[in-house]
Order: sequence, then structure tokens, then C-alpha cells
Amino acid sequence: MQAAEPVELETKKLSAHAKLFPPEFAAVYEEHSRAVYYLALRMLSDPTQAEDATHDVFLKVYRKLDQFRGEAGIKTWLYRITINHCQNLLQTWQHRHIHSNADDAVWDTAVARTDSPLRVLETKELGQRIQKTLDALPEEYRLLLLLVADEKMSYEEIGELTSQTPDAVRGKLHRARKAFAQHFQKTA
Amino acid sequence: MDHDTSHLRHREAQEQTNQQQSGQTAIEFATTEEMIRHDAAQIEVPPAIAERLSKSIAAEPKRSLLGRLRFWK
Repeated sequence: MQAAEPVELETKKLSAHAKLFPPEFAAVYEEHSRAVYYLALRMLSDPTQAEDATHDVFLKVYRKLDQFRGEAGIKTWLYRITINHCQNLLQTWQHRHIHSNADDAVWDTAVARTDSPLRVLETKELGQRIQKTLDALPEEYRLLLLLVADEKMSYEEIGELTSQTPDAVRGKLHRARKAFAQHFQKTA
Repeated sequence: MDHDTSHLRHREAQEQTNQQQSGQTAIEFATTEEMIRHDAAQIEVPPAIAERLSKSIAAEPKRSLLGRLRFWK
């Protein structure tokens, strides 16, 4: 009985998206919005800007459907649009200014999916520590770690997204993991 | 990598001990990727995005999605 609840919840969410979007677009949003939002959140380090970025990315996806021909997977395509969008934002002075003023209160609303009140505290702390650690890393390391954490992404696809060979991805990931572990310890 | 992973695991275990002593529980991860995956799974996409996106799409010129989506997936 309990096992049926999450399915019912997912069905309700899908129905909600189906009412908002054309059916096929709703399915894409349902399947990939979390990955896009999470990538934007951790790249931009700001929940409000991540919301804006996710909206803008999916609006671009809607507009660019004609250009997608399936040479790469849909997720790789979505990630490419997200990365380009976030990197453009990061390059502007305006973003850096807003980021420096990011309020901790904003983070309180960023994590909501939890199993219990205690879990909320744990999850929030972990998310904040991960964010602080990623913020301390070079942008390239941050991006590689976020992409490789997606089990569906191959080194070839990550190399394609970051304009380097799979071997280069492997080598840099080794250094990125090491840097992450070192910085993560400092966030305790 | 093994050293880093082991160090990370040790650190998490140490924190777990500290937290258990203070009545809290901790989560242990074997790799950085595992930790990030766990973090990502906890994130809820704000519903406001879909609502805003729906309004933006409604304001777009009408276009047929059918037939163009056969390449997807």
C-alpha cells in the first residue's frame, strides 16, 4: 500500500505538467527538469538564478525543437544548452554582484524533498557543504564532477560537452575528485 | 583517488560518530559522485518554474510539436 504512494504522486505531477504543456514537452520536462535545475543550481550557486535559468533553458528547448535531430541524446542536448546558458551568466559582472549578495534564507527554500524533519537538516547541511566545496573549485572541475555524477553520461559525452577527449576527462576528473575531497573537509 | 576516497569516507565516518553522540544521524558516501547524486536526488524542482514556463510557452507563436518529436530519446 505504501509502495503505491510515490507512483501516485509522480502520476499526479505528470498530470499537472500535462495540463501546463503540450504532452510531449511535458514528458521531457518531467524527465529532465530535475537534472537541468540541479546543474544550474550548483553551477550558479543561487536558487533564484537557477530557477530563472531552468525556465530559460526549457523555453529555448521549446523554441529549438526544429534543430534537434537526435545525433546526441536528449539529455546531452539539454545539458549543452544549460551549460552554455549558465556560463554566459557567470561571465557577466551582474551575476557576480548578485551572487556575492546571496542570502542564506534563499537556500532554506531550495531543498524541500525530505523524508523527515531530521532529514531536512541533514540534507540542507550536505547541500550547503557541497555547494561551498564546488564554489571553491575551478569551474572546469565543478562541471566535470556534476556531469560525471549523472550515471547516464559517458566519458565520451562529457568530453563532447566540455570540448575535450575522454582521456582528458578521465585525467581531470582524477584531479577534480582530489580537489573536492580536500575542500569538502574544510567545510565541516 | 583511492586515498582521497578513503579520506573522504574516514571524514564522513568521523562526523557520523560525532553526530551520533549528539543524537543526530549521518550519511556516508563512498565517492564524490555518490554524494552529488544523493544531493541531486533530494532537490525538488520549484513548481513555480513550470507555471512560469507554461505562461511563456502560451505567449509563443503557435507551432505543432507532433512530428518533430519523433527524434527525441
